[in-house]
Amino acid sequence: MNQNTDLLTLRSVSKSYGTVPVLHDIDLSIKDGEFLTVLGPSGSGKTTVLRLIGGLEPLTAGEIRLDGQDISRMPINKRPFNTVFQDYALFPHMTVSGNVGYGLSVRHMKRKEITRRVAEALELVQLGRFADRFPAQLSGGQRQRVALARALICQPRLILLDEPLAALDLELRRQMQEFLKSIQREIKTTFLFVTHDQEEAIGMADRICVMQAGHIRQLGTPHDLYYKPNCEFVARFFGENNLVPGKLGPAQGEQRSIETALGRLVCSISDQPHLKAAPDGASAFAAFRPEALHMADATDSGNSFSGTIADLAFAGSSTVATITTGGDAAQRLRLRMPSRIDGSVLKSGETVSLCFAPHEGHLVLA
Amino acid sequence: MSAAGSIHPRERRLSLLVTVLAFALPVIFVLVPLAIFLVYSFFSVDQGTIVYTPTLGNYVRFFTDPIFLPVFWNTIVLCVSVAVICILLAYPAAYFLTTLKGRWRYALLMLLLVPLLMSYVIKIYAIRSILGLNGFLNKALVALGILQQPSNLFVFNMNAILLTLSLLLIPFAILPIFLSLERIPQTLLRASDDLGASGWQTFLRITLPLSLPGVASAASFVFVLAIGDFLTPQMVGGISGFTFGRILYSQFGTAYNWPFGAALSVALAIVVICAILVGERFGRNRGTSI
Repeated sequence: MNQNTDLLTLRSVSKSYGTVPVLHDIDLSIKDGEFLTVLGPSGSGKTTVLRLIGGLEPLTAGEIRLDGQDISRMPINKRPFNTVFQDYALFPHMTVSGNVGYGLSVRHMKRKEITRRVAEALELVQLGRFADRFPAQLSGGQRQRVALARALICQPRLILLDEPLAALDLELRRQMQEFLKSIQREIKTTFLFVTHDQEEAIGMADRICVMQAGHIRQLGTPHDLYYKPNCEFVARFFGENNLVPGKLGPAQGEQRSIETALGRLVCSISDQPHLKAAPDGASAFAAFRPEALHMADATDSGNSFSGTIADLAFAGSSTVATITTGGDAAQRLRLRMPSRIDGSVLKSGETVSLCFAPHEGHLVLA
Repeated sequence: MSAAGSIHPRERRLSLLVTVLAFALPVIFVLVPLAIFLVYSFFSVDQGTIVYTPTLGNYVRFFTDPIFLPVFWNTIVLCVSVAVICILLAYPAAYFLTTLKGRWRYALLMLLLVPLLMSYVIKIYAIRSILGLNGFLNKALVALGILQQPSNLFVFNMNAILLTLSLLLIPFAILPIFLSLERIPQTLLRASDDLGASGWQTFLRITLPLSLPGVASAASFVFVLAIGDFLTPQMVGGISGFTFGRILYSQFGTAYNWPFGAALSVALAIVVICAILVGERFGRNRGTSI
């Protein structure tokens, strides 16, 4: 299994329902063995991507290639992919082992072999004791694992997961995230995971594909998306962020300045050629994460400005301050700092000097 | 309804009345008449008047007289056949309906159910004229060269009853089957496709088993309606098409032997109740539906 070869490629894939377009010219490559998450708000077309790959719906235009072979018109039951459906879609009239063995028995595998592999798969998802139960007798998390076992027993090249954790409560969802990730590492199969929950995406994915309004906005590692968002949508959607509008100034090496209501700010543009190429005076945002913002002291030489603390919110391990900055274009910023047992050093209503380092800020074109 | 703890006395009286009615109406209109029938079946008739001394005579006569048991049995076989024919014809029709989209599906369903709005007697007349010697069926068969000349096989005998009852009762089979097919979640079928099953495998292993409850209710519906029918055998059965329903009818009419008729009704009711119980047993989703 080589992480660098492409397993599946989508080329200029479009999809319309009647006259309503839902996907516009999507290009996407899925690497062999990776955990790729498609992330987007509802209506972004993320589930449609999954349904097109799974063969649940026909493409309107473009093609899907598996190992270089066009499979756009391959019927659903011939594709070497299996889906874990959002509502699990377990067969209610079959036991757990009947459900899990279904994919093998429709391929006319020998009964003995099916029994052996069902037992293996149930062991993998830790449901060995539940083989003879019916789906109605299982909890949500258990049904989820049956659905997963049913998909992976066929040894598909790709497992498609359609928001499989949406129906679970928070604690169970966390457990299942870890569980899915560990299974994926164990069986080394490519996972394509669709979700609208960015925390879920950050926690599980090797790479994340952010979608909005039928377009792919950015594809990259969680780290890339967090620190180098390539557009305003990703910068706002993916994690908490401070965005300050302004006009681009000249570039200097790996950094570029931007004129904002907070004064001139300098941000990093390393590995982002489109920012280097953007003309002076172009509209852009200076973006910096709440945890990058901190109280300025005498030694700080970074981007500094003053602001008034409007609100302090204790959030367990961290405390979040909402800060308003003066000037004509009032700006609300967030600052996140580790909580202290003896209370915050900041007080509401205080005016403070703030700062973030140039390498912790980035630019986003408007 | 007001909030708990502040229920108005009048409201409470009203809800009590509703509760009493809910239990009383079925008792008065269903259970009491059945009980009266049961009691009557232990009486006898002497020269046109009912003798109110308990006797098992009616049941002894039913089991020992060589006429009744064979007719009883033949009628059960006939009605099972009607149920089977109805299921075989209704299933494909119901399945076809579920493959249609939106408005068409219900328009066509309504069309299939329209015969239920027509008078039963008129429908029987219509079917009799189709089956008759100069009817459409014979003419069609002769025209197609299947028969040399019109046949008497289709009217005034058991075949005629079988065909007529099947035609009359098909709507009652289509509806429950259609509903059970429609209730199957589409994602189950997609999941089956996704796991590599062919269309035929998906039908046999997912659709068919999940629609069996509907089939069971349809079968028990049709069976019960067929076995209770005396009008159809009377009108298309002629002399040879003799069913239990006709015997029963004659006891209350021509023979004027209500106690014996009641005993025969009890025998029929037992079969009907069994059919309903069997239908109910298989009509349930085995407690496994999600």
